[in-house]
Amino acid sequence: MKYNLELIKNKKKIIGFSTVLILFSLIGILYSTFNTSYKKPINLGMDFVGGNELRIERVCEAECSNFSPDSVLENLREISKNNKVLNNIKLQFQNNNKLISVRTPYLSIEESNNLINNLDNIVGPLNYESKDSRLIGPKLGKRLLTNCLTSLLVSLFAISLYISIRFDKKYALFALLALFHDLVIVFGIFSWLGIILSVEVNSLFAVSLLTIAGYSVNDTVVIFDRIRENLKLKNEGYNETIQLSVNESFRRTTFTSITTLFPLLSIILFGSYSLFWFSLALSLGIIVGSYSSILLAPSLLLKD
Amino acid sequence: MKRRQGWLFFIIFLLTLSVYLLINYPLQLGLDLQGGSQLTLQIIKEEGKVTSDELEAVNSVIDKRVNNLGVSESNLQTLGGDQLILELPGEQNPLVASRVLGKTALLEFRTQKEGTSTDLKTLQLQRLSVKELIGQYSFAEKSQNNDNFLNFIQDDLKEIEQELNYSSTSNDLYGKLIEIKKYVDKEITNLFIKTDLSGKDLINAGRRQEQTNSNWEVLLTFSNSGGEKFAEITKSIAGTNQLLAIILDGESISEASVGNQFASTGITGGSATISGNFSAENARELEVQLKGGSLPLPIEIVETNTIGALLGSKNILKSLYAAISGLIFVGIFMIFNYRILGFVSVLSLVLYGFFNLAIYSLIPVTLTLPGISGLILSIGMAVDANILIFERIREELYDGNTLTRSIDSGFQRANSSIVDGHITTLLSCFVLFLLGTNFVKGFSATLGIGVLISLFTSLNCSKTILRFFTTYQSLRQKNLYLPRNNFLN
Repeated sequence: MKYNLELIKNKKKIIGFSTVLILFSLIGILYSTFNTSYKKPINLGMDFVGGNELRIERVCEAECSNFSPDSVLENLREISKNNKVLNNIKLQFQNNNKLISVRTPYLSIEESNNLINNLDNIVGPLNYESKDSRLIGPKLGKRLLTNCLTSLLVSLFAISLYISIRFDKKYALFALLALFHDLVIVFGIFSWLGIILSVEVNSLFAVSLLTIAGYSVNDTVVIFDRIRENLKLKNEGYNETIQLSVNESFRRTTFTSITTLFPLLSIILFGSYSLFWFSLALSLGIIVGSYSSILLAPSLLLKD
Repeated sequence: MKRRQGWLFFIIFLLTLSVYLLINYPLQLGLDLQGGSQLTLQIIKEEGKVTSDELEAVNSVIDKRVNNLGVSESNLQTLGGDQLILELPGEQNPLVASRVLGKTALLEFRTQKEGTSTDLKTLQLQRLSVKELIGQYSFAEKSQNNDNFLNFIQDDLKEIEQELNYSSTSNDLYGKLIEIKKYVDKEITNLFIKTDLSGKDLINAGRRQEQTNSNWEVLLTFSNSGGEKFAEITKSIAGTNQLLAIILDGESISEASVGNQFASTGITGGSATISGNFSAENARELEVQLKGGSLPLPIEIVETNTIGALLGSKNILKSLYAAISGLIFVGIFMIFNYRILGFVSVLSLVLYGFFNLAIYSLIPVTLTLPGISGLILSIGMAVDANILIFERIREELYDGNTLTRSIDSGFQRANSSIVDGHITTLLSCFVLFLLGTNFVKGFSATLGIGVLISLFTSLNCSKTILRFFTTYQSLRQKNLYLPRNNFLN
């Protein structure tokens, strides 16, 4: 099966499409920085700002009775006078009212236990065996954030170094452009998700960005290698050789991306909820990464 | 051919070894898979960095306290030079642990300044009232329609504040109560003078129920020199109206007079009891803290994760579903596109899974949810190498080469690009492992190990299996290696 992607003809469209994607992401990032309650480029989750997250299931006979979150909060206010908890609490029911998920600012273990007891009184009985509680102090959050940013920077630096040693200037520059293109788009999508669906990013998001960086560069390297090899071997025009090389490695690149997407899809479908956004970020990164390796990076190499 | 068969036996041997390892050394599951509590303790130091000696000292005190707590299993690790991570598998409510571990437990013995008796009496009364108010507050919090009740507490508190000539700055009532209590404690402590006897002079601590009522008391046993110091101190105040205070972390937990009968020798015998209306639980907590000694630097609990056992086992099941379905998706895709070659890659993947798990039990790697996602993700990456090779083989076959030649050169020519292609992923894993938190380390470890093992399985194992298949004449038809529709092109 031969593929025939008309790279030369569509160069402008491809670069235009990427520009639109980047703009879309940048708008999200700017909007998120200036127009949201959290005033950050992305909605930072508990890992980075500290807080208390509780998920616990109710014990119900057949079906769980319906409570409105507001009425539960009302009840909580009557019982507890702990302002720290009540001023900034988010409460949700999920899974047909079975699962309660609560977010509050940072609490001590004692305060968190009191909260659970109070909830038990209002919507109980609760199944303590299903408890998932995380308490993160604000100090630790800041530290995690610096930690993640350092890892990102160090790893991007290492990858850039590797690429610039391995390729000459022009190739290295475009490979890096493609890489930042991928990262900005995934970041931008999560900025938008934060704005629209209040999706928060945690330390696993930073991990997914790093993994995307490693993986997407890998794809670009393979295609650039092919181009270099063919430029030496074949006597066709420069642009034609690039297009040919892309078509030759098209199948290989899409297939490896598909096989990597399958396991991620399984985690999204069947895995634990804590891995959902992580796997989604990785999947997005791999899709955008394959696109930029196959279409964008080689298009940038084309001469007018 | 003979050499390849040698490989085949080697692979079978490795597989048997892996199964043996997995049966005899079961995988270690992280808390998110088995349920339990994890506490992150931050060492607080105002100036400068925490030295490794200080870290070591804090670590050993915490270790002693955890052991004395009597939890069945625990795991204490240092992290990043100034943090400790304590894992308590199976513990669903880390409240007691946090209370015992979080305190500095600095024990001091102080003697009362002369002429402060009336001041002390007033303060003791105020302390009692504040304590009562705190008790009432906890009770009020649990009952409904408690506004009146809370107003009473508020008024009483204001009276005390006026007496003390101190106004609290906290926003909520509970915070105010605690603040005032701390203030009173500080005032009381200030009425006493430091002595050279401290928690360092203890060699043991215990507890027992008081004979006259249901309260508990904590027993202290001093070292020889400690006993002498104690005798000296008690002698100096015996028969006077100066009291001896036992102060824990700046809060006086007991003030007692020393009778005239000790005026000549002091209290000898090298032991003392603290009876300050302890409940059984409080007495035990104090006992554990004193046995472990005081922390050289204060610590703060900055993170607490608690996962129920049921949720843990659900997480295992979900991960299993995800891993198996991922494997099936990939398998179907590979067999559909590459036929026998695809089947070979599935077999290598199964080997890959076993080898990975065996390495986990060997190192050992504690499996956590992020770790499992790293493993599942690496399944997809492990097939990458196979795809590269198979594409080369296909090209060779299309060019009209024989099967054996195509296979040989396919493996040969793909070799370098495979190794090369994994370098960037390994780079990221390496950085993540060095700089990441515990949580992140799990992911980078499994992904990194996976990428390395996949080099072996997808290069060596699949080649060996393929060679083995091609020894059968019936499996040597070219169309078993190329999808039929490809011939139409």
